[in-house]
Amino acid sequence: MEKYMDADKRTTAAEAIGRFVNDGESFVFANCLYCMPLALTHELIRQGKRNLMAFQQGGIEEIDQLVLSKVIDRLVLAYNFRAGGPRIVSPLDRAIKEGQVAVEEMTNHTLLSMMKAGAMGYPFLPVLPGIKVTDVVKRNGFMGNQRFARLPDPFTGKDTLVVKGFNPDFALIHVQRADRAGNGQLWGAMINSKWAALAAKKVILSCEEIVDTEVIMSSPHLTIVPSHKVCAVVECPWGAHPSEVLGHYDYDFPFRVLFVGSAANPDAAKFWLDEWIHKVKDRDEYIEHYVKRFGRDTLEAFRARPFKSVPADYGSTFSRDWDDQGYSRSMGMTMQEFVAMLDAKGALIDGN
Amino acid sequence: MGTRFTIQELIVSRAAKELKDREFVVIGQGIAMAAGVLARRTHAPNAVILTEAGLLGIDPFKVPLHIADPTCTRGFTYSCDMIDIFTTVLNQGYVDVTFLGVGQIDRFGNMNSSYLGEPGNYTTRMTGAGGAPEFIGYAGRAILTMSGGTFVEKLDYFTSPGYLEGGDSRYAAGMPEGSGPSVLITTRGVFRFDEVTKEMYLAGLHPGVTVDEIRAEVPWNLKIADRLETTPAPTEEELAILRSFAPDITMGRKLQLEVVMKQVINLLSKGA
Repeated sequence: MEKYMDADKRTTAAEAIGRFVNDGESFVFANCLYCMPLALTHELIRQGKRNLMAFQQGGIEEIDQLVLSKVIDRLVLAYNFRAGGPRIVSPLDRAIKEGQVAVEEMTNHTLLSMMKAGAMGYPFLPVLPGIKVTDVVKRNGFMGNQRFARLPDPFTGKDTLVVKGFNPDFALIHVQRADRAGNGQLWGAMINSKWAALAAKKVILSCEEIVDTEVIMSSPHLTIVPSHKVCAVVECPWGAHPSEVLGHYDYDFPFRVLFVGSAANPDAAKFWLDEWIHKVKDRDEYIEHYVKRFGRDTLEAFRARPFKSVPADYGSTFSRDWDDQGYSRSMGMTMQEFVAMLDAKGALIDGN
Repeated sequence: MGTRFTIQELIVSRAAKELKDREFVVIGQGIAMAAGVLARRTHAPNAVILTEAGLLGIDPFKVPLHIADPTCTRGFTYSCDMIDIFTTVLNQGYVDVTFLGVGQIDRFGNMNSSYLGEPGNYTTRMTGAGGAPEFIGYAGRAILTMSGGTFVEKLDYFTSPGYLEGGDSRYAAGMPEGSGPSVLITTRGVFRFDEVTKEMYLAGLHPGVTVDEIRAEVPWNLKIADRLETTPAPTEEELAILRSFAPDITMGRKLQLEVVMKQVINLLSKGA
């Protein structure tokens, strides 16, 4: 695993995707349904990345956008939101039928367990074996036998189902806030975010807001991605639109329906992708375009109203060993008395 | 004169009655969420609702768009992740009930939510498994609802285990004793499963529906209970709760699409 130690990893989405993503790699969405890293996803499309393999717990619009843009050719998936039900032909349906994308079926529990095993550095993890009887286990897709195996429990001998640990080349994740080094803080529905991010060899992180490291240090329980996993940090307000970010904005349902409606028809879909991805150069321009098209008020109507968490108190009795009078709390003496004691005990060595 | 209600309201009201007080219930979107919340606001105030996204003890003020939709919860009492829900909550036996919506179902309550079409040449990918196979595998029991789905002799794809080949086969395969689908509520009636053979049978009819209408939808020779219940109409109280909490569910998918399209047209008309 690579270790990313720079103190300041701030960059743009274009730079992050350009520098850290290669054609043919595997990646995982470390958010699903909620807080989707759509600014980063759109950059994959804009840069014309090819032959990527995606892991996604629960797709919403991003899978169809990647499929329409021919960015991914392999997809490991547990769930994909279907607006309008099975009667409407989705881009994913068409892509499967035409052989443009190969799909490997998983369940929420087993797909995430692959990530958790990978994150922990384990070759495999046991999972709930009730699905042994289902086609999810019985029918192999493009991964062949590289998903499930059965082993006797070494303690009881009972038949156990295990999944293989997996470390995708990179993860995309969007969070509420992060510092410059990439300590990423997320709250709300945690879903797969932590394990998917920790499983990946590197994390490309976008956030609503960059904050000082002091903010992170006052609330470390909210950090789900540690900076050493993160290769790039992108400050990107509205970076998950039209999905929601708790404390920032609600989902934009009409806009989402606009995409879903367009996606049902290949020509309309192309028009949508041109307007909202190709003809804007980044998320700022996307938001500018949105405001120009639908009005500032339409966007602002989605802003969250505050509902503050009570802060946790990280205060301890002392913040240093030496008190205001210059006495050590552990030794009950001043610095001068301490050095004199070291001398008297013969603990000091003469230098040159 | 009795109450007037939509078919969705009837299904939600009937499904809510299946949930008992103080139960742990895992819920997805749509009808299931409406039923869980309705139960909590009527006869089951101490039921705990969780979603597989890691939200436990939620008290939604509107129907979530999806399992991770936190904007409708305004806080919850335990924040964990998806793997915690499947292991520390489900696998430790805390989940009493799971609600599931049905795509395809066979006579033993086995379900398909993954693919439509011939094996090897699937034409439609439905939502996929999500957490359904694990929840129905390990929850105390499952309450199934079906509004757009179908009864089939053989599933196109086997996603979630009901009673497998019937009898004891489910428990022989390792799933907990007593678990499995306990009821299926469709737009026409209520179905249950025989205690011994585990085959689905018709247990009740919605108002105005005949046995023949149901037989026409079921491709096997459906067994019928000796005494069929008639699904009770939702009460005025239930309707008031539902229409304020879940207008989207009340109106159903088709009408909802119409209303949503109006919103989209409104959005587009703002275009500069």
